[in-house]
Amino acid sequence: MSVLEVRDVDSGYGDMQVLHGMSLDLHEEEIVCMVGPNGAGKSTVLKTVFGLLEPWSGTIRLDGEDITGMAPEDLVRRGMAYVPQVDNVFPPLTVEENLRMGGVAREDPGPVIEELYERFPLLDEKRTAKAGSLSGGQQQLLALARALVVEPEVLLIDEPSAGLAPTIVDDVFEDVRKVNELGTAILMIEQNARAGLRISDRGYVLDQGSVEFEGNADTLLEDPKVAELYLGG
Amino acid sequence: MVDFDPQLVADGLVYSSIIVLGSIGLSLVYDIADFPNFAHGDLMAVGAFGALAVHGSLGFPFPVAVVTGMVIGAVVAVLTNRVVFEPMDAGPLELLIASIGVALIYRAALMQRFGTESQSYDVGGQAPIDAAQETLGIAINVRAVAIIAVTLVLVGALHAMLQYTSLGRQMRATSANPSLARVSGIRTDRVVTAMWVIGGALAAAGGVFLGLHTLIRPRMGFDILLVLFAAVILGGIGSVYGAMAGGLVIGMVHELTPAIPVVPTRYNTAIAFVIMILILLVQPSGIAGGKTSA
Ligand SMILES: Nc1ncnc2c1ncn2[C@@H]1O[C@H](COP(=O)(O)OP(=O)(O)OP(=O)(O)O)[C@@H](O)[C@H]1O
Ligand SMILES: [Mg+2]
Repeated sequence: MSVLEVRDVDSGYGDMQVLHGMSLDLHEEEIVCMVGPNGAGKSTVLKTVFGLLEPWSGTIRLDGEDITGMAPEDLVRRGMAYVPQVDNVFPPLTVEENLRMGGVAREDPGPVIEELYERFPLLDEKRTAKAGSLSGGQQQLLALARALVVEPEVLLIDEPSAGLAPTIVDDVFEDVRKVNELGTAILMIEQNARAGLRISDRGYVLDQGSVEFEGNADTLLEDPKVAELYLGG
Repeated sequence: MVDFDPQLVADGLVYSSIIVLGSIGLSLVYDIADFPNFAHGDLMAVGAFGALAVHGSLGFPFPVAVVTGMVIGAVVAVLTNRVVFEPMDAGPLELLIASIGVALIYRAALMQRFGTESQSYDVGGQAPIDAAQETLGIAINVRAVAIIAVTLVLVGALHAMLQYTSLGRQMRATSANPSLARVSGIRTDRVVTAMWVIGGALAAAGGVFLGLHTLIRPRMGFDILLVLFAAVILGGIGSVYGAMAGGLVIGMVHELTPAIPVVPTRYNTAIAFVIMILILLVQPSGIAGGKTSA
């Protein structure tokens, strides 16, 4: 069953339309990877789903309920969380404070935050450090952890591996997979398309604001046309 | 060049207290709503007259009048935002112009209700404290000491609130990144209201203290507005802690001008601006280095 359903969504910035009849599904317990060239509109999909952009038309459903145009602060309370591509931590706040901000939508976030410290010892060591002083990889981890404080049913992640050293990229993907194993459905954007698809169940290839290819991750990885056009041969 | 004169320092601290209280709200609004609120000085006057009415006409004790004045300042600030600024949904320039209109409305309302004459609070406390005279050699009265002490308490309370309460953390998060704040689940509309409440209440307190230190006049807040802007810009626009530091420096400079030889005292506001410009030449993003209110 679809936990997240995007149907025929048009969206954009000001007068500029970016998404043209965008549709996708995220099923329970799945990892779905969205790939596509720069400027294809991948981030715009997540921003529209999460209420940061008002869709021009189309519908978005969470657990079968219409959430089209609903505000981000309300979506968090309905079990969805989002890690933006950039500016995804509060630099002047400490690691601890960032995590607490992730927990404002729930009662008693303390125990979950402690669990997250156990899962990510790196953050545990940096509790009182300002987020702005962390390395890129540490910030990415903090951004992920912040989104997990609400224990979301659906998690949207925009390019978790962007700007990270290759050695850490695998760690981040491993973390994403672990989150998924604990029962969270994940819709992820990945610039690093092959690596992203490899840990995913299904994939969508986006180009110029609509879906060009979709299918099982393995099928997409083996499709010569997809490989030639979108996976760099 | 400047002789150390404890009397001028004492005067400076009183004036700085008033500037600090005014600057914080101005800076908060700049931070959250992204425009220089020209009505902020007149909001100080609203607080001052509010306290005057509660104390003078209604006969409540002065501390009650001060608190009531702060409540009035907060309510007027929130209502103005709800009725004027928020519905406009406009850019900084439009909001700036609108805020000048709001300032004129506040002032006209005060003049209509209280007249244009200067007034003062009937609370005494104007005689110099003997102990201060003997030990420090300065003439300072109970009013001045109370202004400095209450300002310290208010600023300390604001600091504790920002650092150690959930609302304070949410304010800092919203100021750092409003969209990520919403994504995290923070109800930023409530946070913004809280910032208007704090800014309005502190402005009102500053207004009461200005009235206590000098006289209560409908133009009192407008006359001090440029000095507030200097403090906010000096501190680093949009930073609460910057506004505190900027307010302290500008207030001090303003009162220390007599210690500078040759320069006539009436140049004190100009000197404050010169200092502001000199500091900004060295540190263009202001004392707080362009950081947000953390
Ligand atoms: N805030 C914005 N205002 C105006 N246009 C924008 C904005 N953000 C993105 N765009 C434009 O919308 C289009 C799609 O951008 P989007 O960020 O969704 O692409 P993307 O697929 O995520 O690309 P990337 O791989 O570079 O992250 C691009 O043409 C981009 O320039
Ligand atoms: Mg993107």
